[in-house]
Amino acid sequence: MTAARVRAAFADAGVTGALHAVDLDHPDRELSVGADEPVVLASVFKVPLLVALHHSAHDLTRRITLDADRSTGPTGVGGMLDPVTMSLRDLAYLAVTVSDNAAADALADLIGLDAVNDTLRELGLTRTLVVHRARDFMRTMAEDAAPDELPAALADPVVLSRLRALDPDHTNRGTARDLTTLLRHVWRHDDCAPIRRAMALQVWPHRLASGFPFDDVRVAGKTGTLPTVRNEVGVVEYPDGGRYAVAVFTRSASTAFTLPAADAVIGTAARLALEHLR
Amino acid sequence: MDLLRHLRYFLAVAEELHFGRAAARLHMSQPPLSQSIQRLERELGVRLFDRDARHVALTDAGRQILTEARGLLAGEDRLRALAGRFRHGEAGSLRAGVPPDLGGRAVAALLPAFRRRSPVELKLREIGTAEQLRALADRSLDVGVLRFPFDVSWLSLGPVLTSPLGVLLPRDHPLAAAPDVRLADLNGLALVLFPRATAPALHDEVLTTCARHGYTPADVHQAGNPEFALGLVLAGGAVALHDGVAPPPDVVWRPLRGTPLLWRTSAAWPRGRQTPAVTAFADAVTEVLAAQGMRHAEGTLPRYPRPAAEYLS
Repeated sequence: MTAARVRAAFADAGVTGALHAVDLDHPDRELSVGADEPVVLASVFKVPLLVALHHSAHDLTRRITLDADRSTGPTGVGGMLDPVTMSLRDLAYLAVTVSDNAAADALADLIGLDAVNDTLRELGLTRTLVVHRARDFMRTMAEDAAPDELPAALADPVVLSRLRALDPDHTNRGTARDLTTLLRHVWRHDDCAPIRRAMALQVWPHRLASGFPFDDVRVAGKTGTLPTVRNEVGVVEYPDGGRYAVAVFTRSASTAFTLPAADAVIGTAARLALEHLR
Repeated sequence: MDLLRHLRYFLAVAEELHFGRAAARLHMSQPPLSQSIQRLERELGVRLFDRDARHVALTDAGRQILTEARGLLAGEDRLRALAGRFRHGEAGSLRAGVPPDLGGRAVAALLPAFRRRSPVELKLREIGTAEQLRALADRSLDVGVLRFPFDVSWLSLGPVLTSPLGVLLPRDHPLAAAPDVRLADLNGLALVLFPRATAPALHDEVLTTCARHGYTPADVHQAGNPEFALGLVLAGGAVALHDGVAPPPDVVWRPLRGTPLLWRTSAAWPRGRQTPAVTAFADAVTEVLAAQGMRHAEGTLPRYPRPAAEYLS
């Protein structure tokens, strides 16, 4: 019943989607809408990246310098112009709060994607794999769009249908259920406290948080965005102590970048799911 | 045991009544053939042949089992041939969907265009884009004709064809006097559009494109039936979008200046499920739509690209 309402909400917003929601304290209470289908993670991969970092032996107060050859992006160090020297833990903070590609890739280069995948295996997330850094998304999109050129080609659905970055078989992938399992780990483990803090400080209000316009309900999340891909995974905490991990992955029909309804339905779907669990 | 293989050997020996000649016919040596017959006799629990140094003869059981064996082996041949015909796309049926507003002429042209390309039976269903996507996903449809935009992530696409849209106006409407119409000129009129639920993304895209070009409809009437849409236009106060192919009598069709609105249409099927019949259908769709005046989409997209760097947040 609730699953049908979630699917109808997705359809009404012009997207298809997968969702998994689970009560952190009673994991037998859950809701699945295509929760085991492979999905494209996009920037959601920064969560497993940070989990691997926080379980590594690295001194997170060590400072490293990101020079001009760092990865680029719209936010954080990725959008800045000059060399930046920062501690590993502040890079981790930027990678989650503003999805900073330069910060995330610097950390990925430091620990290696193998370490990220080793961590995923240890946590039993067999359906989740990280094979690309943020800069690899941009590189493969340019390669696969050729001879068409970015960014114009990203509005052409025929071009999008051949991008590896949008194909779960060829890029960072997971399932909604795997990602809520990861969040349960983050919310249980003391080493992961800085990840919880950063997710709670994430700046975007338009997706998961938009479904909970109540100032006493706290939403901590991490988004992921690529052409037609809009994702967010996070934890919603109610004042009565109820805590729920939610993972929502969507694909929009329209190739437009600005689709407020497609962003908002992530919050709507999550709220429908939590109303069911509560 | 591989019963059918042993039965083939049995058939050869039964027809030759000589192990050496049967082995030669089967391109094998005699000992493994004798072993095979012995294994078959053990498996079935009866003797098939009486043999001595000079003679091989079928037992009663062997004679009757030979008849059944011939039937089984002929059945195997038929089964493999049938599978081969499906493999090569020459048998079975193709379940295809077309949008309700494709037009009777296009549907009429589609059937012979497909028949020229494929011996497979074509089962056409008239269903909207959203429903076609559900049917393609649950495998109750093999191929569809879909209006963009839709989620292409799990689909393969045929060539994308476009048709510029115009509007249907009452004959006596002042705008009908000009050769074309600007979207902004339509302000004050209601818009007749397909029901939103049949294709929510396209519905929203049409309205935002109208708004971008200065037209915010006074009202949006949802019409699933072309006759109902025509009635609303004839009643005055509303316009309907139309591709200009065989517009209904009693109203006039005028193109929109600058072609701000296009239908983009393509055959689509689930990735990895392309058969020769699917290819034949996609080619037939392309031929029929192009003959109707639709054009290949190259160079028509996109209009308002966003910097690629803004992704990945």
